[in-house]
Order: sequence, then structure tokens, then C-alpha cells
Amino acid sequence: MSLLQKYPAEVKQILSKYPADHKQSAVMPLLYLAQRENGYITGSAMQDIAETLDMTQTEVAAVVGFYTLYLDKKEGKYRMQVCTDLPCALRGADKFLQDLCGNLGIKVGETTSDGLVTIEAVMCLAACDKAPMFQIQSRDGLEYHEDMTVDKTMELVAALAKSGREVA
Amino acid sequence: MSLVDPVIELGRGLWRTLSSMFERTVTYQYPEHKRTVRPRFRGRHVLKRYDNGLEKCIGCSLCAAACPSDAIFVEASENTDEHRFSPGERYASTYEINMLRCIFCGYCEDACPTEAIVLGDNYEMSYYTRKDAIYTKDMLIEPVSSVNQTTPQKTPTGVFTRSVPEMKDAKD
Amino acid sequence: MDKQVTLTIDGKLISVPEGTFVADAARMADIDIPVFCHHPKLEPVGMCRMCLVEIGRPIRDRATGQFVLENGQPKIQFLPKLETACTNRVEDGMVVHTQSESAKAGQKSTIEFLLTSHPLDCPVCDKGGECPLQNLTMAHGAGKSRFLYDEKLHLEKRKPLGELIYLDQERCIQCGRCVRFQDEIAGDPVIGFDERGRSMQIMTSSEPGFDSVFSGNTTDICPVGALTTADFRFGARPWELEEFPSICSQCPVGCNITINTRREAAADGSMVIKRIMPRQNETVNEIWICDKGRFAYHYTESKGRLTRPAIRKDGKLSRASWDSAIKLAAENFAEAGKNFVVLASGRLANEDLFNLKSLADHLKGDAVLYSEIGGGELTSAIGISPDTNLGEVGPGTTLVVIASDLYQEAPIWYLRLKQAVRRGATLIVANPRQTRLDDHASYVIRYAYGDEVKTVHSLDKKNKIGEAFTRSENVIIFYGSEGLGVEGSAALASACAKLLNEYGFAGKPNNGLVGVWQRANDQGAWEMGYRVEADLPRFLRGKVVYLVGVDPAGDDPRLAKALENAKFLAVQDILESATSELADVILPAQAHTEREGTFTSGERRVQRYYPALPVLGETRPDFAITAQIARQAGFIQEGTSVSAAFDILSETIPSYAELSYSKLAEVQPQWPVVGRGDLYYGGTTYENKHGLGAHLTTTASRGENVHILRVHRESAPRPQENELLAVPVTRLYDRGTTVLPAKVLKNRIGKATISMHPDIAERLNVKNGGLVKISFDGHSGEALVQIDKTIPAGVVTVPRSMGLAIHEPVPAKVK
Repeated sequence: MSLLQKYPAEVKQILSKYPADHKQSAVMPLLYLAQRENGYITGSAMQDIAETLDMTQTEVAAVVGFYTLYLDKKEGKYRMQVCTDLPCALRGADKFLQDLCGNLGIKVGETTSDGLVTIEAVMCLAACDKAPMFQIQSRDGLEYHEDMTVDKTMELVAALAKSGREVA
Repeated sequence: MSLVDPVIELGRGLWRTLSSMFERTVTYQYPEHKRTVRPRFRGRHVLKRYDNGLEKCIGCSLCAAACPSDAIFVEASENTDEHRFSPGERYASTYEINMLRCIFCGYCEDACPTEAIVLGDNYEMSYYTRKDAIYTKDMLIEPVSSVNQTTPQKTPTGVFTRSVPEMKDAKD
Repeated sequence: MDKQVTLTIDGKLISVPEGTFVADAARMADIDIPVFCHHPKLEPVGMCRMCLVEIGRPIRDRATGQFVLENGQPKIQFLPKLETACTNRVEDGMVVHTQSESAKAGQKSTIEFLLTSHPLDCPVCDKGGECPLQNLTMAHGAGKSRFLYDEKLHLEKRKPLGELIYLDQERCIQCGRCVRFQDEIAGDPVIGFDERGRSMQIMTSSEPGFDSVFSGNTTDICPVGALTTADFRFGARPWELEEFPSICSQCPVGCNITINTRREAAADGSMVIKRIMPRQNETVNEIWICDKGRFAYHYTESKGRLTRPAIRKDGKLSRASWDSAIKLAAENFAEAGKNFVVLASGRLANEDLFNLKSLADHLKGDAVLYSEIGGGELTSAIGISPDTNLGEVGPGTTLVVIASDLYQEAPIWYLRLKQAVRRGATLIVANPRQTRLDDHASYVIRYAYGDEVKTVHSLDKKNKIGEAFTRSENVIIFYGSEGLGVEGSAALASACAKLLNEYGFAGKPNNGLVGVWQRANDQGAWEMGYRVEADLPRFLRGKVVYLVGVDPAGDDPRLAKALENAKFLAVQDILESATSELADVILPAQAHTEREGTFTSGERRVQRYYPALPVLGETRPDFAITAQIARQAGFIQEGTSVSAAFDILSETIPSYAELSYSKLAEVQPQWPVVGRGDLYYGGTTYENKHGLGAHLTTTASRGENVHILRVHRESAPRPQENELLAVPVTRLYDRGTTVLPAKVLKNRIGKATISMHPDIAERLNVKNGGLVKISFDGHSGEALVQIDKTIPAGVVTVPRSMGLAIHEPVPAKVK
């Protein structure tokens, strides 16, 4: 079912914000909608949005590709974004990331086989005094986890797997 | 001028002739004895291979472009991992050198980016017709030492992806 | 007259039109500013930073607004940093230094940056030898790189963007020329950038990949070997290729091309066409060609070439000598008298068509053009006249396209009209279904199949469209054969011509009627006086037919039957076909790549083409064969020299007056400058050194009276209730004789597909992509169904030349 069919009111409201001859400006809010729906933007959602806005699918895909927060493939339930910028790196963030990956059995950017956790390396998260640290992004929102060690992180992962909720 | 002078001159000349009969000869009794070829001798071309049997020639035609007498004809084709002749994407499917046009200057050897075409030591070539003088790739390619080194080969994916060797430093 | 601006570049004082970019101004003055992302036909973006130069401008005093003077001259202030020449427009008094220390350092650094991750691929890269990056590195680059080799990017090397174009991600320098070309010029934004920064790469999401008929042009403007064609992959090195100027034989636009050939071992050492490249002609195709012209050249080298004459003896075709074949043909033609028919097509040169017509006239026979579009005689009366240039029309000109999908039928005209709209021209597109040109049109008229003439008559009504039409200075009408047969298109042409004549849109530059023909030289046939026949099967029965460059038996089983019942068939063609199987005598002809000749484009421009390959077998040029038959039949025609044949043509046909081969070979300097020496600037298009061609005059432009007969049409077939009307439409890639042998286009040609509205599909219970049997007018065939909500109700579109023999709108049944 297309976005227009599933959320007609919301889509109409988005389109009404932009002039009729500049429909293409609505591509970003519609992509948010598509990502909210599935956790990532599916090929058919991109096709859908392209048809609604009179764009080609390539143009929509180019917008998706440009922004790192528009996901075009399914990622884990919890995205663990480890800061690897300079101050964190000086406090051992690189090794932390490497060991964490080793423990989870995946490489940076990959998802665990149970679909629970995706590890990403990101830029400064402004918690330099509490390094090594990471943030967890999920459907429930964003949480910082600071002063972490590999063991503490693995405990957290186990807790997430069991409860399905975040533990502070 | 006395009567003896011409005899002395004659004698000198004949002495020269006689003494030369006992000089060491520099002639080689070819074909029984052959002179060793010097290190940079430019003889018959050879298309070299890597140690694993893949051909070095990538079909780039730079040798044909460098050749002052337009003696080389090259046609290129695509490599696949199932049917691999050379590392990288490209290999020479046709490689012919017209030996009658070739002047053995070695420019092709200098131009080659992978050191595939080299001028070897063989200088003993003869042909009866002009057509026989056109040496094709199977005549020029270096023979292999073992049967699983012949080309085409079946290679694992992702290994032989570079056509030109990574020249990291001058000695590479 | 544009306002001129004077500036100094490298000490040279030059004057250029206002609004020119500094990089273009330098090029006009023969000064070299290296560029990668800049292209004279694209909007500048300043992405590559290669054109960095020092630019200084005269300073004005803020308070007084006057120039600050220094030694009597305005003081020039240079910015502390280098600026890109491609994004800065010229200003009066500007001073540009392109060779100063800092500019040179900037250029050197930019090359160094571009080469940091550029792979060491020159030996294996198809672009090597015609590569702007190579040339500019030699000219402006440093000898060594200071960057760490180990941090070089390793990316996908042979990524197909669609099956026609390959992308090498490592070689791409992210200049964006390809994306910008597709967006701005082609209007098909089917490639785009993925990611950003160091990871920026080109990608496509269309299905099939890179779904544009102009995709091949991106390989010409790509400054490195990132985009290459699958057709020419590893074909040859550019310096090994020989170049021959020619004209594309696929559609009536008449794009100028260059044929590159080389010897091939697989062909036993004979010369073979390696690739087709565009040749610059700013009045016809600028520097572009469509993919059909670029990739569909293989037919002249197909194995089914006719190379030896043959005569039917005892029911079988057996080899014969030229003399006996010609004698047999001439005898039969001469004694046929009124029953003699010449059936020729637009695949032939002007000289061939002329000789054939004169043979038909002499023997009191009939000269018929094998085409499904009528009304061509009107284009000689009221067509486009000299000094017309679609590339210059702008405000004040109205372009009308009726019953034609230009994107499929004549892609380069689609490009030209689209750009005309950008310059301010008005475009009216009238079509029964949605076409790509609609997006660029100023006004779109949607009429029902059958209402073509009515629509033309309504073009000058009192509404917005009518006002735009009648108030224009110039009007050009393009008419086609969308949903029309011979009668329908003739009626449409007549209605258009009458309208143009009434309002005086004829006889002057940028005015007139253009037919979107099916083949390259249909216009030439119309100029010579050929006519089309609406009911060809009935007409051909019992006749003595001289078939030249046509395959009716392969196109339509009814025509095959008619030919079987003909009295005598002489087939003169280049390829074996169903028609040649029925022949009584076969006369093998030379393809246009093997001989000289001229084509007349749909815009009525005569252009010369030159031989690229040696003669095959015992083939002879078409005009020579006809002349030899004429001689046998007792009269003289020019059969030896093409140039002399053209001279006779020019003396006989008024519109060709005062033209000759030498006049057609004249060239003029063109802008932008492209070609071998300047390929970093304009791309690898070849420069035109062999002739721009010349425009024909029209009856109207010669000041003579134009008489337009109104063509009556009893009633046009219209979609009926509970009945399905099958209408013929044209696709770019079809199973035509000149296209099918190109294996690289196999997927684009695909299978015969008919399109219908979802409601009709539901009624017939067919699914999208399902296989059905369609029958009409005694024919039936299989086709795939495509559900398309832009198709009007009651109608199913049937593509021509895909194995379904449709010639005009007819009722159909689909199962």
C-alpha cells in the first residue's frame, strides 16, 4: 500500500506546505514518513514518493544517499553509534570499538545476526570527558551511554536483548 | 733505392701473412659453437608471464603505439574470473608482430607498463613466406612450466583485480 | 546585437558578449584555461577547481561611485585567492591572469588532488588517448605525487549503469558533467550522486538502469574513463582508429556522425566499424547523438548481406552475373509499361531516389515511397526554408508538435525543442496520450484518436493557445503518425499546411511544416515527387515491382501475399530478407557506409556522407545499378559519379537548385569548439571538417504561389463503445532492419508490448506483463501487456515494427 493510501491526511498536509509547482520540496518530509513506517526507506517507498512528486526514482535515491540519517537498508533495532573523534580516541575509543566489534562478531557498519544491534562509528558526540562513550538510537529515542567499557557494554546488550527496553 | 729494398718490403708483407696463419682465430664455428649473448641483447620477443602462470600482457597497445615501424597489432578483450588470462580486466586476445617490419629497437619493451613484452635472446629466425613472418600470440607467449599454469585459468573472485603492478617504489 | 564587454586575459584585450563566463571568453580568444567540470553547454558549478585563475576587477570608490584611478587607468584589485573562471561572468575592465605563479600553482595542485585516488589504469582504460585528464596532467600537472599510496580508495571497477554504460567508480573525478547533462539537457534525471564527500559516486535507480536514450552522450563528455560504453569496451585505442564522416541513417534528424573503423582479426583482417561518434553540427544535432544512432550500426556488417547478383531459375535463386541480372530486370521493366512500380524507401540516398524516379517516369510507371506517413509533398511547398536553426529560436517562435512522440521518433529534435523552450520559445504539444515532451511544453492539448484535424483547426481559436499561436512571429509545426496511417497523416498535414499558409508562417526562416518521418531520407523522396500508397497490397498485385531498400514481405503477411502474386519482382537491397526470398532477380547494393551519397533530413537539410568501409563482394551503389538498368532500357542516366548525379538532380528539382557536392562540403567555425585538440573543453565529439550541408528552398521561400489541396477524409476511426481500437505508435528501439542486428540493444528492444488503461485491462482480465493474443484486420500476434493509466479509454497502442503488422488505427480484439 502506498504512503498516500495509508496516511492520506498527513501526506496532504505535508504537500500543502509547499507551492504547487515546487512539489519536489516535499521529498524530505515524505522520506521521514517512509522511514518511520519501516525503520528504513524501502525501494517501493522511494518509487511511491517519486510518483507522488513527479520526480524520478533516482532523484529520490540521491536525496536518500546524501543524508546519513536516511537509511536505505534495514538496520538493527538499536543503533550503537560509537564516537571515534580525537578526544575519545585519545582515551582509547578505537580499541574500544575494535574489541566491541570482536565481541559482537561483526564489523563496523554491520548488524548482529539477530538484528538487535548495529555498530556505527560517528563523529564527536560532545561527551569528551566521559570517553569512551556511545549513543543508542532506536524507535524510542536517543540515549547516551558514557564512561563505558567493553564488559559494561556487553551487559547492556544482553539486557536489551532480554527486556526489549533500554536500561539507563 | 737499392735492389734489396723491394725484396725486404715483399718479405715484410709475406711475413705478415705467414704469421697471421698462426694467430688465434676469433671466428666461432657456428652453428656448432655459438657466441654467448650479451646481457642487453635484443632478439626475438617473448610475452612474459607471472609466477602463477597469468600473462603479464594486458592488451593496452602501448607497444604498438611506440613501435616506430608499426609492426605490432593488438586487440584486447575482457577477462572474467572464470576465464582469466591476465590480472585485471583486460588481456590481449590478438597479439601479432610482423618480424619483417620489426627493427628490434626495444621501444616496445620500454613502453610496456607491465614488463610483458621483452626482447629475448633468440636471434635464429627464418621464414619462407611473408605470412610466416607474422608471429602470433601463441608463438610469442612464454611457455609454461606446469599444466595448471596455462591460461585461461579459473581464479577466485576479488584476487586478481589490478592490471598494472603496484609500483610502490623504484625497485618494485 | 548583444552588448559587448571588453576585458584583458593574459595581456590580450578581447571583446565578448555580455554574460559570457571567463573560461568561455578565454576559449574564444584561443587562450587555454583548463577545465574539467565546466562544459560550454551546461550551467557552471565550479566543482572541480581546475580553472582557477587570478581575476582582478577595477575598483569603484564607495562614496562617489567613480573608478579609483592609478596613473590615469582604473586601479585593478585582485582578490587574495584564486577564483574559478567558469563561474565568473566577464565585466568591463576585468583583468585575468591564467599563467601567473599562483594560477599555475593552483592548477598543478588541483591535478595533484584529482590524481590522489585516480587508479593507474591508463593502459587498460578506454579513454586513454582521448582523455582530458591525461592531456591536462601532461600540460599542468606535477611529475610526482606527495600523497600516501596506501590510502588510495578501492571501489567497484566495472559497475553497469544499465547494460549500455559501465561506470568505473575509481576513475570518476566527481565533476558531475554526466548528472548535469542528464538533468539539464536530456531532461532524464536517471543518474544521480550517492553519498557525499570522499564517498560520492554516481548511481542510477531507474529500471532498466540509466533509462535514457541519450545515455551514450555522457561517455563523450566524461573527462575521464569513468563512463564507457559496453559496445566499444576494449574495442581499440583511439589512435588506432580511422575516422570517416557520415550521416546517421536511423531517423529523419540526420545527425552528423563519425564512423571509426579498424581492421579486425575475427573478421579475417577486413575493416570493421568499431564505434560511432557524434560530429559537430550546431544546426542539426549540436554535439549529441541518441543511443540508437550510436549503437545500432551493426546491420551493415551482418552476416546476411547480399553480395552477389542472383536470378531465379527453376524456382530457385542461383548466382548470376551482373550483366544477366540487369538485362533480365530491364527487359521486364520495359515491357511492363504502366504496370511498372518502383517501391523505394528513405534508406536510399538522394541520388538513388532520383535515378529511380526518372526510370519510373521514363517507363511510364509509378514511383511509390514505402512509408506510412503521407502529406510529404506539402513539406516541399511549405516546409522549413534556409537559415532556419532550431538551436537559435526563442521568444516569438511557437513550435507545435502534433501526433508525434518526438522522444521515441526523433530524439535529437526532442532535445532541440526542449532547449528552445528554455530560451523562451512557446511549445504546444498535441497528442492523444502523454509523452515526455509534455513536461516541457507551454501548452498541452489532449485530443482523442481520430480528432487530429479538428485539433489543428482549433489552434487559432480565441483562447490562450490560439493567441499564442496567432501572435507569434514564427511557427513551425511538426506532424507525425501517432495513431495514424497514410490517409490520416495526409489529412493532418494538409490541415497544418493550410493553417500555416493562411497566417503567413511560410517561406521565411524558422517557419514551416516538418514531417516526423520513419526513415532517414523520406524527405528526399518527397522532394523528388514520390507518392505514398494507402492500400499497398491491392496496388501491388499483378505488377512488375522494383523493390529498393524495402522489406514488405517481412513487415506484413498481406504484402508478402501481394508480392507472391506480383508479375515480376526485382529486389535491390543490402540484406537478405523475406522479400529477397521471393525475388525473381536480386541486385546486391552497397550500404551507405560503403559509398558516398547525400541524405535530406526532415528539416530539409542536404548533407553528404562519405564511405567508411571498402566495397563488399560484388555490390554496386544503388544509383549505379538503376543507371545500368536504364542504359539497358535505352536511355542515359548518370551511374558512375555520385557528384555528377547530384548535379543533374540539382538542375532538375527546383528545391535543390544551386547546390553541389563542393557546396555541401563547406564548413564554418562553430561554437563551442570541440574536437581532438580541445577535447577537454567540449568532449570527445569529432569536429566537423567535412561539411555542414545546405538547406533546401521551398516553393514558398522562392516566392512562388503555394496551392494546398484540402485532403478529405471520410471519417477517422474513433474508439467505439465496447470495442477496442488498436492505434499504431512508434518506439525508438524496434525490430526494424537497421536496429535488430545490434545485439547490445537486445534488452531495450525487448518483446512486442501493447499498452492499455487499467480499466480495460481489468475488463479483459489481463495482468501487467501478461502475454495475450491480439488480432486486427486479419492479423494476429502475441504481445505482452503494459498497464498504463495515461492511455485513453477504448484504445490499445500497438508498436510498429515489432512483429505486429499495424498500419493505421483499426478495431482489435485482445485475449
